[in-house]
Parts: sequence; structure tokens; C-alpha cells
Amino acid sequence: MPTIGASYKDLCKVIGKKIPVEELKDLILYSKGEIDEIDGDLLKIDIKDSNRPDLWSTEGIAREIKGRLEQIGCPKYEIKKSDVVVSVDKKNKGVRPYTVCAVVKNLKIDLDVLSQIIQLQEKIHTTFGSNRKEIAMGIYDYDRIKPPIRFTTFKPEGIKFAPLDFEEEITLKEILEKHPKGKEFVHLLTGYEEYPIFIDANNKVLSMPPIINSNYSGKITEKTKNAFIECSGFNLKFLVPALNVVVAALTDRGAEIQSVKVIYPKKVMITPDLTPKKTSIDIDYVNKISELNLSGKEICKLLQQANYDTELKGKKIELVYPAYRQDIMHPRDIVEDVIISYGYNKIEPIVSKLKTESGIVEKEMFSNKVSEIMTSLGFQEILSYTLTNKENIFSKMNLKEETVVEIENAVSANWNVFRNWLLPSMMEFYSNNQHVKYPQNIFEVGDVVLIDEKQETKTRDIRKLSAAMADSRAGYEKIAAALDALLNKLNVKYLLKKTRHDSFIEGRVAEIIVKNKPIGIIGEIHPYVLKKWKMEMPIATFEINLEYS
Amino acid sequence: MSEYKLTKEGEEYLKNGLPEKNLVKLLNSLPKKSASIGEIVNKVKNFSIAMKWCLDEKWIEKKGDNLILIKAPEEKKIEKLLKKIDEGEDVNEKNLKIMMERNLVTKISETYKKTHEAISKSGNVIDELTHDIIRTGLWKGKKFNSVDVEKSKKIKLGKIAPGKRQPYNQFLWDVRKKLAELGFKEMVGPTIETEFWNFDSLYQPQHHPARTWTQTYSLKYPNFGKLPDKKIVDGVKASHENGWKYKWDPRTAMKLMPRAHGTCLSARTLAGKPKIPGKYFAIVRCYRPDVIDYKHGVEFNQTEGIIVGEDLTFKNLLGILKTFAIEVAGAKKVKFFSDYYPFTEPSAQLSALHPELGWIEFAGSGIFREELTRPLGVSQPVLAWGLGIDRLAMFKLKIDDIRELFSRNLEWLRR
Repeated sequence: MPTIGASYKDLCKVIGKKIPVEELKDLILYSKGEIDEIDGDLLKIDIKDSNRPDLWSTEGIAREIKGRLEQIGCPKYEIKKSDVVVSVDKKNKGVRPYTVCAVVKNLKIDLDVLSQIIQLQEKIHTTFGSNRKEIAMGIYDYDRIKPPIRFTTFKPEGIKFAPLDFEEEITLKEILEKHPKGKEFVHLLTGYEEYPIFIDANNKVLSMPPIINSNYSGKITEKTKNAFIECSGFNLKFLVPALNVVVAALTDRGAEIQSVKVIYPKKVMITPDLTPKKTSIDIDYVNKISELNLSGKEICKLLQQANYDTELKGKKIELVYPAYRQDIMHPRDIVEDVIISYGYNKIEPIVSKLKTESGIVEKEMFSNKVSEIMTSLGFQEILSYTLTNKENIFSKMNLKEETVVEIENAVSANWNVFRNWLLPSMMEFYSNNQHVKYPQNIFEVGDVVLIDEKQETKTRDIRKLSAAMADSRAGYEKIAAALDALLNKLNVKYLLKKTRHDSFIEGRVAEIIVKNKPIGIIGEIHPYVLKKWKMEMPIATFEINLEYS
Repeated sequence: MSEYKLTKEGEEYLKNGLPEKNLVKLLNSLPKKSASIGEIVNKVKNFSIAMKWCLDEKWIEKKGDNLILIKAPEEKKIEKLLKKIDEGEDVNEKNLKIMMERNLVTKISETYKKTHEAISKSGNVIDELTHDIIRTGLWKGKKFNSVDVEKSKKIKLGKIAPGKRQPYNQFLWDVRKKLAELGFKEMVGPTIETEFWNFDSLYQPQHHPARTWTQTYSLKYPNFGKLPDKKIVDGVKASHENGWKYKWDPRTAMKLMPRAHGTCLSARTLAGKPKIPGKYFAIVRCYRPDVIDYKHGVEFNQTEGIIVGEDLTFKNLLGILKTFAIEVAGAKKVKFFSDYYPFTEPSAQLSALHPELGWIEFAGSGIFREELTRPLGVSQPVLAWGLGIDRLAMFKLKIDDIRELFSRNLEWLRR
């Protein structure tokens, strides 16, 4: 969910009407937005839709509100032809194969416009462009560029230019090493022998996408009159709407858009293309989903408010909508626009009266029962994360490392594997509570995740119980008494069978056997393990599989 | 101290007199100085012992059924010995032997000796009343040290920690019960999922921003799971390729990951030929690589579910959200907003007016896209919802750091 900043005055200016803040709060719902904070003139707005970049700017929000107020239908965007040509080198294939471009003339940029353009570009990069991987957008001072422009590739040390905020010309390799943006996005170019470059007729570099623009031409200011915009990436289905969104916003600010001829090795594209799109919808379908019982005429009006042109044809409505709406894939998407225009809070909620089966799953019922018994035995329930680390579950328990479910992109080395038993969670809890009054009797009912090649997901969750006593007098007999009380209460017949386990003291550890199968372990923790957890109290504990039957 | 002590019998005789002496006393008090056994058998305790000793000592004579007193003994030797031993004085070997033969005296145990010594050491005052002190009877005649019964502030009060449920877990259980009461059935699913169930089955295209709406974890090991039935896989593939216009890759869908949301369980439920109409819910642990702070824990629970049935509409969606707001959050008023999920259209969010928290975002929802439900074999509308219950839990537990839901603080849990 993108959060954007906007000037209240500026927003009213683009809408073309001064709207009281309270009224604006309601109107902004039409742009799937919600005013989160008001700080003087600055509004912080959450836009709910992360698939509609056209809404992520003052211009986009204003468009939706204006639509509802004036019922303008599909906005028209006029594009003139420029004679600017961008040729794409065949070397770009496999590196960064596609670009779409536009020329914007007669910009009237004040600080508000500038901040909106930069913000929109940033939101497109991060949200819609998967952090510049799919989309890198560059905006340049057109008057500092000499067309035709080439989109090509250079070796890391094959060319030099001064990146944004740098005076000195440095190689592409140096940019990746030294420039903050180079360091941030170097992973997107790692492994390529040559890097993508936009370069003009004077052999001046415009940019190295998706990393950085040149300091000379790659920025716009309040003084910029004309601009050149390009979007580069791997897939036109992302690049085209991204460019359209920015171009539409600048048109709304009074600029004039000119098209660019992009020449690929095997095809030619004229961009941007803001020709409106067409579709249609059944009146019955709208009513089936919404239950609003709207007439064709009513639906037409609601859709005109949502910036569609409409034509009622019997039970159908023919629709024309703006090219920046890349999100419309199914009649459902249009139904939502009808409902948004209608107003969510004007709809009366109806509770469906369905007769259904209900209930809590057996595993949870049983877990709850076990937890109730354990508390009645004087144990405090705790709740831990299922994520932990290898040190906790192996070396600190005096065990050899085994294969466990391991995370590749962990946020922290503290939480990068799934626990394969519960006891380490208990030990960790104890070591956090060394100075709390003893005896400390605790338990946890929770899942562990084990590798199981036979399963669909190569893993298996097991619900387990671990209980432990820490006290100067804690010992095998006491914990065995607790286990006995629990299993008796559950009507489970069990045996204890002497065993060895490196986490426990030899001679004070046993397997818990139910129906000839081991379901757990009970014993006194070895002082070596206690020391690893910095515990100075004896701990006696058991751990059992609750899915034993 | 003496090595010997009275047995129970010895103690009894010391207190109530020897039975033979009691028998003599009784006969002596009768006018004829005699009586039939039948008359007096119940008047003297341990009658048979008493009779045996009186006959042996020739104090009485037995004629038929009658007992006749011959002479009354003067000496009270045994009584004196009993008293001596009871007071811990030494008696000679010969006397001891007689007493032990009559089982009136026994050798004192090690425990007795130790306990006795301990009490002597502390000046014959009992500090802590123990099992041994009670068993040996050594408390008799001793003074007990007073304790601070009024518990002056100088003494730190020992606290008893009763066993308690973890409060957040208890809260989740209460929500479970509530949802079951509202007619929902709980769903299950694995912690580690294939991308197929986390993304593809929910119509989130591969290599697309709609799939990266949230950051997710990937696994170092294991890497790939299995795909479900061919029919379902083919349906999902066709849906993606027709709708999102790209070549769907089964290998990507097989990748394993810790589930990032509970919606995978809804997808699995729909694909598993559920009862229709049906109402389903899940409360499950979810995993996302968020930077950990007061708003983001290492793991979190999602509460969500679906309602599937003929003729369900957007109004029903708002209806169920409102029900949740009233029943689960105790809301007095609700407001609806538009919302966005890659797998629902239309979508709606509910804000609830909580009596103390004010307006809170409480529920997100939508009608599952047809491109999602049809490949899973469901043609009826499916209303999908999720509840933000952690905010309520935090309010209830009076905490403002979400990490505290999984508290590591035993003192806090005990309170």
C-alpha cells in the first residue's frame, strides 16, 4: 500500500475547486485513498491499491475526485509527434532489452509539481517496478540532450560520466562501487559483462539504468522547460503503463506530450500510446455481484464518474477507459468501480443466513485440553517463535547438527531456521528469566517443523508439548510425577525406558513409550547444557509429540 | 539421651495404667472381690493381657468362669520404669529386657536421634516443624518459635506462582471459539508451503509486482515441493496465461517457502471440494521478512477465512464484516473503505469504532476473483475476509509493542 505526501492547496488547485478538508476526507475515498495524517498543508495519504500507479500522485487523486464531481468520462490525452528517435542496440537483449520514451514540452514546474513527479517516480520504482528490477524510469532536461539517442551497453570500464551529485567523471565500475545508488542497486547488474547506457548524439551519457542518471542532463528543476522521459526494463506490460501514468500526470499539469520513435532491431514503436481502451459489461452481472439493483442508466452515470465513457446497448454497456488503467482484466474490476462511485457506506450490509458445519479442529481442541491440564499442575504457559537458529537447537543443546528447514533471506541470523524440537525454546526462555523467583515451572504447546521428503511440501509440522521445572530441587522424580499426572488425566498408558541423549545427564533420561512407540523424552538437563544457556539452576523436563496416536 | 523410647503400647499404659493393675483395681472394688469373666471382660481394656499377667503373678485365681482376687500388689515397678524411659532416663539392662519383651519399649531410631539432637541444639525450640519431628513425637513439650504472622514489611513475602495460560494464546483460543460459534469451521495447512498455494493458486502472477505486494521468505533447504492434481495445475496455468499474458512456469510454483499469509489455507480448502455452502476460518502463524520493531514481530498470526455459497454478494461481504466488528471487536459503529488484494475484486476494508480505542482498521476483505476460484473447481462466489485481531489483543493485554505478544518475561506472564 503506497503512502504518498500531497499539498492540500495544490490538490485543490488541480481539482479546480477549494474543498474543505472534512469534505475532502470523504471524496478521497473515490481514489481508494484515506487521509492518514494532516500536518499543516501537507496531507499523508494511504492509497490502498498497489496495482494502480495512476492513483499515486496528486494528479491521479484529483482525476478521480474531479470525475465524481463533474462526471467527465474518459479523459482525452493529445499526443503530438516529435522527431526524436531512440534506437535500441541488439546488445541490450538479455541485459535490459526494452525502453519506452516520451518528450514533454512546456512544463510549468513549481515545487509541488516537482515533488509529485519525483515521488511518483520513486513509488513506481519501489512498488510497481519491484525495486527498479522491472522498471527504471529516468527523467531528463530535454534541452541538454542532443537526439538521436542510443540505448546500448558498455563495458564496466568502457565509458565515464559524472553521475548525479558527482562533478567528476568516473567509470561505470566506479559508479557501482562509489555512488550510494550504485552500492544500493549493484545486485541488479551483477553478472553482466556490459551495462545498459542511454547516450546522445554528442556521446554524452544520459544514464546507466537501473542505477543512476548523469549529473549533467539527468535531473529536472523548477527551471526545466522541456523534459525527456524513458522507462527501461524487461517487459513492456510494465513499462507502458508506468510511462503512461507519468505522462498523464504531466498533461494534467498543462504540459504538452510528444511521442518518440523507438527503433528496435526488428520493430519500431511509437511511444507513449495513450489511446483509450475498450471493453463492455453486462448490467445483470453488475447487479449479481453488487446486489444494488441498478438500471443501465444508473450504472452509466456511476461509471462516467469513474472516468469511463459509456454507451448503453440493451443489457450491455460499451465502455471506453483511459490507457493508464492497466489493472482492468475482468468485469469484476469494473463492478468495483461502480461500487466505489456508488459509495461503500451507502450500501446496507446484509448478513447471509447460511446453514453450515462449524467447529475447531481436533488438533487445537486437544492442544487446549493439554494446556489446561498443565496449568492445573502449576505450570505457566509460554509462547515462542517457531523460528530460531542452529546454535540454539544444536550446539547449545550439546547435539550434532542435522538438516533442518532453513531460510535463505533471513532478516536476522537469530531467526533463520525452523525449530525441530521445543526444548531449546524453553531453555531460551529460562535464560531470559534467571533472576525471577524459583521454582519456575513452564510449558509450551507448539509446532515444530521437520524435514519429510515424502510430503508434498517436503516438511511436516508436528504439534508438541514441552514442560520444564527449574529449581534447586528440580529433578527427575518431580518431572516424572508431572508427566504421570498429565498422561493419567489423558488416559494414556505409557512406559519409561532408559535411554541416552546428549542434552541430558546419563542415567537420568528416559524415552516415553506409548503403544510401543517412542513419543518423547524425559530427564534432567546436563550441566554442560545448563552452562551453555548460563543457567545456574537444575532443570528437569519432558517433551512429547501430541500427535502420537 | 537414652537409647530407648516407649512404644505406643508403653505410652498407652503409662497414661491409662497397666491392664493387670486395672483388673486388680476393678476386682478390689467389688464387694465379693470376684466376678465372672463375662461380667467384666468389657470393663478392662486389654482384658486378656490383664488376666494373663494377674494369673502369672498369682494376684488372682480362676475358678471355672470366675476370677477371684487373692492379693493386691503393692509395687508399682513397671509404671516407674515407663515413666523413667519416657523422661529419657536410663534404666538397667534387666528391667529393659522385661519391658522390651512386653513390647513396651523400643530402641530409638537414627532419625529420632538426629532430630532430637537438632532440637537440643536450637535450645529445645522448634523452628521448622518437619515430618521427622511429627513422626518421632519430639515436638511434645517443646516450644515453637513464633513466626511473623502479621507479615511485617521487613519480611519479603514469598509469592506462589499458579499455573496460567499464556494471555495471547488464551486470546486466540477465545477468538477460535467465537468464530466456531458464528458457524465457521477451522481449516488446516502446512507451515511450509509451495509457492503454488501461497501465490499461483491465488492468481498472483509469477515475476510480477502483484506477487511482491509483500516481502516473503525463501528457503535454503528444502527447495521444491510437489504440485497438486494435474487438473488444478492446468486450470491455474491457463488462468494465469489467459489473464496475465505470460508463460506460466511450474518450477517456480514448486518452490517452497514459509507461508506469508493464511489465504493459502483458503485456496487449499476450495481445491479440496469443500461443502457448499460453507464458512471456514483459520488462525495460523505467518512469516514475512519484516524488519523487527514495535509493529513487526519475527512471526505473526493471521485470522482469516472464506464463505462460499450460491448468490453471495458484496452486501453479504459487508454483512459478515459488520458481524465480526460487533461480535469480535465489540464495535458500536462501522465504516467501509475500498481496499486492494491481488486476489479479490471488489475488495472492502472495515474500520470499527471500538469503545476505547476509537476507530481502528479491523478487517480486510473481498470477493475472490473468478480467475482464482474457477481453476480450483468452485463456481460459486467466495467471500474472503481477514481480521486484525492483534491490535485488539494488544489492547486487552495492555501492551504497545507487538513483540510482547510472544513475551519472554516470566514475571509479566505470572501477573
